[in-house]
Amino acid sequence: MMKKTQAAAAAAALALAAACAPRMQPVRPIQANGAMVPSTADATVAAARDEAHAERARIAAEQERTMDAALAACTPSTCNAVARGELSVGMTREQVLAATRTGEVAWEARGGGAVTTLTPRDEGRAPADAVAEVAYVTLQNGRVASYAYREPQGLRLVSSAAEATPAAQARARAEALRREGDDFALAGDFQRALDRYDRADVIAPGDPETTLRIARALDKQLRPYEAAIRYRLFLHQLEIEKIRAYGEVYAGMAAAAAEARSRILVLERSGR
Amino acid sequence: MKSFARAALAAALLATAGCATQVTRVSPDQAYDLSGKWNDVDSRQVADAIIRQSFEGAAGPSWSVSYMQAHAGRRPTVIVGSIRNRSMEHIPVETFVRDLERAYLASGQVQVVASADERDEVRAERLDQQENASADTRARLGKERGASYMLQGDISSIVDREGGRRVVYYQVDMTLVDLETNAKTWTGQHRIKKFIEQPRVRLF
Repeated sequence: MMKKTQAAAAAAALALAAACAPRMQPVRPIQANGAMVPSTADATVAAARDEAHAERARIAAEQERTMDAALAACTPSTCNAVARGELSVGMTREQVLAATRTGEVAWEARGGGAVTTLTPRDEGRAPADAVAEVAYVTLQNGRVASYAYREPQGLRLVSSAAEATPAAQARARAEALRREGDDFALAGDFQRALDRYDRADVIAPGDPETTLRIARALDKQLRPYEAAIRYRLFLHQLEIEKIRAYGEVYAGMAAAAAEARSRILVLERSGR
Repeated sequence: MKSFARAALAAALLATAGCATQVTRVSPDQAYDLSGKWNDVDSRQVADAIIRQSFEGAAGPSWSVSYMQAHAGRRPTVIVGSIRNRSMEHIPVETFVRDLERAYLASGQVQVVASADERDEVRAERLDQQENASADTRARLGKERGASYMLQGDISSIVDREGGRRVVYYQVDMTLVDLETNAKTWTGQHRIKKFIEQPRVRLF
């Protein structure tokens, strides 16, 4: 009797446990245990290899065509820039592609008519020339009117040959650093401002504008001796600037004097 | 008595023979799941999926082909960073990472440079060559190729258990990060779900 009661209790407990278990749909296997599952990696890699081969051949052929077109009719300075891989004002669209070693697929053309702007199609993989990453190129009547580089201190616009020189590049970078320093100075962070001015001074040394800013920042940081040295240096640099300016004026006047002398000679001879 | 001893000996021999180790070589492509833990099948499936996703573009060409198009046909260079195992299991990540490296190299679309762990030995050898190798055969210093992207990833798992039943979910995420800009250039993901049922009572 006792055994029967125990058995019934156990059966009831089991039934209760089964009833409390979460109900679920039958499991649908997607792969049988022991099944052969060959790797698909080799087929994927073979397809990728073919794609890479075809893409490289296409890029090489496109570059050859672009280079031929770019070098067919270029001035010596433009040809040199293309060979160096540098953009320059006055280049054609083909020469831009040749200088940046890219194809049409890397650029997106906006605008139309007389002015077209080329911007990188993919900002994350922007084309670059030998100088830096290119942010955009503006073409006017099919020729490069200006272009901008993406540099650590922001965009640097080049719209003339003079702005493309390394000295102009340094000046532009120093200017950007000075602006950044001015922002910090405005926020009262003279330590960071001084850091930016120092960096500007390294890139473009001897600029009185940078020296004056350094002097002021040191002054505000209550570092009088260093500030005084910088103020004196600023005045010294101003003197040098003045001498340089006079020199340029005198050089201009010397040319004018030479012209006047030649004109006097011509006039005197023709009057005889 | 003798016959009893013989019978016992024969039974012992039979039992020993029955317990002998049996080895059967099988194809690496055959998928066997014994304990339900992470195994070679999971590793291979992750490698297959990540390799496939890596050479696929969501819309247009893959990230490596896009790079080649923007860089005059030059291939991007990848360095393998850390692949973190955030699951409770021991998962050897090297197996599918090596599969991925091999796929990159064999595809001709991507260059792979030695990771931080691997290059120490190479650098030591190069330094050794500066003193001991002849001038015309020594590897030059400062000619290492810098990577454009770093491959990072992690493996996470979620386990749901009740009685002798268990559902394990693995998620493997791989990301390619631009070393200059920190931009995530590509992400790949593979998910595995297993239902494991174990008997409550085992004879052996």
